[in-house]
Amino acid sequence: MSGLLNFSSNMFVVAFFLYCAAFILFAVAIMGRRWSNRDPESHRRKWGNIAFGVSSLGLVLELTYFFTRWAGGGHIPVSNMYEFMSFLSMMVMVAFTVVYLIYRKTILGLFAVPITIIIMAYAAVFPQEVQPLIPSLQSYWLKIHVTMAAAGESFFAIAFAAGFMYLLRTVNFSSTDKKDRRQQRWVEIVFFSIILVISFIITVFAFRAAGYESVFTQTKASGTAGQTTSVTQTVEYKLPPIVAPYQSKIESYQPFLGMTKPLFSAPSWMNGINAGRKFNTIIWTVISGIILYGILRLIARKPLGRAASPFLDGIDPDDLDEISYRAIAIGFPIFTLGALIFAMIWAQVAWGRFWGWDPKEVWALICWLFYSAYLHLRLSRGWQGRQSSWLSVLGFLVVMFTLVGVNLVIAGLHSYAGTN
Amino acid sequence: MMKEVIAFKNTKCECGHQNPVGTVLCEACGRPLEEQDRESNEVLEMRYDGMARRSQRANPNFIDRIWNFFSSVKIAVYMIILTLLGSMLGTIFPQENTFLNIDPSTYYKETYGTAGWIYYKLGLSHTYESWWFILLLVMIGASLVICSLDRVLPLYKALTKQRILKHKQFLTRQRVVYQGPVELESKEWVEQASVHIKKRGYRVHTLDNALLAEKYRFSRWGPYVIHIGLIIFLLAVLARGLPGLHMDQHVAFPEGEIKHIPNTSYYLKNEKFTVEYYSEQDLPKEFQGKNKVLPKLFKTQATLYECTANCNDPSKQPTLKAVDHHNIEVNDPMDYKGLKAYQFDYDLTPVLRSVKPSLVDKKTGKDYGTFQLKIKDPERNYKVGPYSLELKEKYNDFGLDENGQPVTKTPNPNAPAFLFLIKGPNLPAEGVHYFYFPKQIDKERFQQDAINAKMNGGSVPLELDVKGMGNVDLSMSTTYLNIRVDKAMPFVWVGAAIVMLGLILGFYWQHRRIWLRIDDGNLTLGAHTSKNWFGIRREIAAILRKMNLEVDEKSLDNGGNHS
Repeated sequence: MSGLLNFSSNMFVVAFFLYCAAFILFAVAIMGRRWSNRDPESHRRKWGNIAFGVSSLGLVLELTYFFTRWAGGGHIPVSNMYEFMSFLSMMVMVAFTVVYLIYRKTILGLFAVPITIIIMAYAAVFPQEVQPLIPSLQSYWLKIHVTMAAAGESFFAIAFAAGFMYLLRTVNFSSTDKKDRRQQRWVEIVFFSIILVISFIITVFAFRAAGYESVFTQTKASGTAGQTTSVTQTVEYKLPPIVAPYQSKIESYQPFLGMTKPLFSAPSWMNGINAGRKFNTIIWTVISGIILYGILRLIARKPLGRAASPFLDGIDPDDLDEISYRAIAIGFPIFTLGALIFAMIWAQVAWGRFWGWDPKEVWALICWLFYSAYLHLRLSRGWQGRQSSWLSVLGFLVVMFTLVGVNLVIAGLHSYAGTN
Repeated sequence: MMKEVIAFKNTKCECGHQNPVGTVLCEACGRPLEEQDRESNEVLEMRYDGMARRSQRANPNFIDRIWNFFSSVKIAVYMIILTLLGSMLGTIFPQENTFLNIDPSTYYKETYGTAGWIYYKLGLSHTYESWWFILLLVMIGASLVICSLDRVLPLYKALTKQRILKHKQFLTRQRVVYQGPVELESKEWVEQASVHIKKRGYRVHTLDNALLAEKYRFSRWGPYVIHIGLIIFLLAVLARGLPGLHMDQHVAFPEGEIKHIPNTSYYLKNEKFTVEYYSEQDLPKEFQGKNKVLPKLFKTQATLYECTANCNDPSKQPTLKAVDHHNIEVNDPMDYKGLKAYQFDYDLTPVLRSVKPSLVDKKTGKDYGTFQLKIKDPERNYKVGPYSLELKEKYNDFGLDENGQPVTKTPNPNAPAFLFLIKGPNLPAEGVHYFYFPKQIDKERFQQDAINAKMNGGSVPLELDVKGMGNVDLSMSTTYLNIRVDKAMPFVWVGAAIVMLGLILGFYWQHRRIWLRIDDGNLTLGAHTSKNWFGIRREIAAILRKMNLEVDEKSLDNGGNHS
């Protein structure tokens, strides 16, 4: 790796820690309002400004990471999962900065900055080498299409943050009424989903730091009657195998907590070599997610939604609703241009068809249809506040599935190298 | 008749204006028309400025009912959601068109088991071509047209004939309201205020004690512009299904050969195909030494010819004229008058084009001479020295059927074989049959000598032999190009551009209006915006501050819908 690329990776790490610091400072700005001998409003303003300053510095460093990697790698760093996710995290910060400058709501930082932190950490799960571009990616549309799409999506991330804040602010967490209970449960589910992502990242990094590895081989016979050829594939597990690939042999198994062989094999319909490994990762994520959630519940001694809602005391819910809507209104045209129109132009140039119902294309369309439905419901049917906040939360889930889920589960033409 | 009379009676406002049936707010003064509505203090429903729409006609007939159905936003949202869910279903398993050569009736069952079989049986393996999906798109198209017409006309009417002086209730029931005493004389206050409002880009109309300020009205047309763009887009997409507007085929072009592009008057020659891979040092460390190959470039140097004469006469050679030359790469197709050629695939297996075998006497080794044998279109008769060779049979892909008879398995020249009848000195009068396999590997595999001996009841004294690679003409590679014509594309792009224009108009500007009137030294101000209430409150607070009225931005909020 050249010196420039090394410098670039360092900038990435420093930016990451600055965002973490900014998150803590935003928390101080919000929570410290009730500390003794101070005026809550001036405390919030002072610490909010410091926090915003730190997060902006982080953004400057992440931009430095981006442009130095561009210079060092010779092409715009949005061509694999690591690069795309870090770019997305950067755009979320840009979107946050834009919305923050419009509305000046300190509390927004407390919810938007963690999104960036999580996406950045998630990016670091993937291989970080600069890879040369395959012919289909050698186009200036790569720059335009991917960056614009990510910019639009990052505004949806801000809408998600504001929408979720609205819910935390307005759901009645002390009520035992059936309707309120349902709202509380869903808020808790959103928290749990976020925790799942965090625990996935933590688990991967913990075992990576420990240098864990087990290897399996799978031999598959293929071909028609008479002539059969068998192909043997190897798969490396970086997490202790609870589940082995379908019909596989253990090549090497590093014992973990007294476990010396997998507990069971993947079912027959998960017959791909990597399906078992992915299933294993999901099991680990769920286990560690439940543990992490349990720990947080023990600390908070109440559901996380109820524990988080006091942070939002004194915040005008209408403002949150408006921020969420405004973020979508800003992001929607950008998303349309970047993720659909530019995508169509590039597809026309590269593959000869502007639309081919590739899973990624379809999911971009699904996102677009979802937010169109949101806008119609809001503008013409008066869906506001709670309903539209839930939609903005759900919408971001759809966006994340489009960006991550499609690559991991469905793949197709847009599969990045190194997404395994 | 009776009904109409009642309707007329109900829609006449106290200001004397006669409103059409279905009007919510008087078209002139903005006073609510419904009795109950007048007693309420709720924020007014300002959609389309309370104008009547066609879809609100009193006694709908059949056509009205269809109109009403498609003009409903609720129905439109349902259709959007259904399309969304349908699209999701289509991504569960790969669609049929992802594969070039499969039999879907067995493929899905074999690859994905029972779930795949059900998927195929439900027709989801071609979701996006299925009738219900297309129908949904067509219905969305209809909804786009009717929704827009139903709303844009009344909205246009409302916005082009606005009155300056509005009913007081119209103002106090806006979402942004301010009421309070003013010190100056009413006309003077209005005049001073209009200066400050104008500074913020508003067009201001005043009438004695009343004022109407408005800006960015064009933003209101945004949604309708989007819809027009979408309609053009959808029509263009549907038009691609019409014959003649769309062509899509994959054609193989062996290197160095001029080949006709089916169903066109064009021929294309693949001058040279190049594939390059990244070298080891270009790859990241992780990939090095792992035999991982990453392609860098696929390039076909192509020349396009147009046929000018003898195009449809198989007995004559067509006259070709070179019209275009292009290095076709991925992301850089050839484009000649709407005919496009995209790099799609390649095959590096060498293909035999012609050989120059010598006719040799097996015993003496005497060489009687050579002749050129073209693999694809061989001539029928050859003369070599004193011998004559007549081509009796040609097999592109030689094989033996279950009865031991020679057959050609595929039309591809994988294992070409030629059956000659040779006549000449020292041969029987009727000649000998001679099988010739130009490829050494086939010659051994099919035991050429044994076949020939068996056919003639003894060894043949002659032999065809290619002496050296100089007598072999190979096409080193084949490029596969995707040949396309898409005449509807310009309309697709125009539609997309209009959508984008509408999005920008509608989302990045907001139509803002401020009404105010002063009655007996008391100011009543109401304001409305299509979006961004936060912004208009801030603006009005700033304007009022200029007029020495200190107000909290938030206190201007009168509640109600934040659309």
